[in-house]
Amino acid sequence: MSTPNTAKKETPTGRTSGPGRLLITVYGVFAISATARALLQIATKFDEAPVAYTLSAFAAIVYIVATVSLAKPGAKWATVATVAICIELLGVLVVGALSLVDPAAFQHASVWSKFGQGYGYIPLLLPIIGLIWLYRHREAK
Amino acid sequence: MILDAWFIIGAIVGLTSTVVCVVAAVMKKKPNDVTLLALIAVELFIVAYAIGSIIRLANGEPLAGEPWEFWGYMFTAAALPVAGFYWAMMERTHWSNYVMSAVGVTVVVMLARMAQIWYGTGLSAQAAPALESLQQGLGI
Repeated sequence: MSTPNTAKKETPTGRTSGPGRLLITVYGVFAISATARALLQIATKFDEAPVAYTLSAFAAIVYIVATVSLAKPGAKWATVATVAICIELLGVLVVGALSLVDPAAFQHASVWSKFGQGYGYIPLLLPIIGLIWLYRHREAK
Repeated sequence: MILDAWFIIGAIVGLTSTVVCVVAAVMKKKPNDVTLLALIAVELFIVAYAIGSIIRLANGEPLAGEPWEFWGYMFTAAALPVAGFYWAMMERTHWSNYVMSAVGVTVVVMLARMAQIWYGTGLSAQAAPALESLQQGLGI
């Protein structure tokens, strides 16, 4: 017995297929590297900059949620992905702007400092590409 | 960071692997022997680097940074080609080659960080501003 739901999941051009898999890959790399870096910072030198390193951990969680929700099919996960990526975009814009306006407060690097300059500005581009991707693959309600 | 032979060879292997996979993807080819070999080359380099590093340590060469951080990078770098291959093969289209192309360049970035840990020019809070900007430029 086939239902419309299973048919939809098998569509090869869906949100989690094709270019979507590359997007998930890049998010996955950022999730791993941000998590590892945050754990390292918190484990070894948390006292030096608690705010910056808490921010690193927060960024890592956002990347993990974004990676998982992008990889999961279904409208609910698309919503989770949209929220996570909006938070990510907000984070990189706010932290990026603050790190330029008040460099003294952001001496300790995080993924989002200076709009992700240390990571080749990928942290700035990634949420924009992610949101475009989600918008183009939104499900009709 | 210091450009030693390990990093230079690793960078050549990693970037070549990325270029091969991107070219195959642009040509709309599905993953084939050539792109698979490009991924295997990266894995073999990491294994060689790991063995080489153990020998260097055994010969008394100093590891300036935290050993667990260095080996953490090594382990993750070794897992990447396997994870990339698995993720690429779950849906075998020319997009799989783009996924696999991400492995090589990511490993090169990690190798740069590993060289920093080995020679002790790490991301310390006391690092000179010039060093900080160098690391920013390296994308780490």
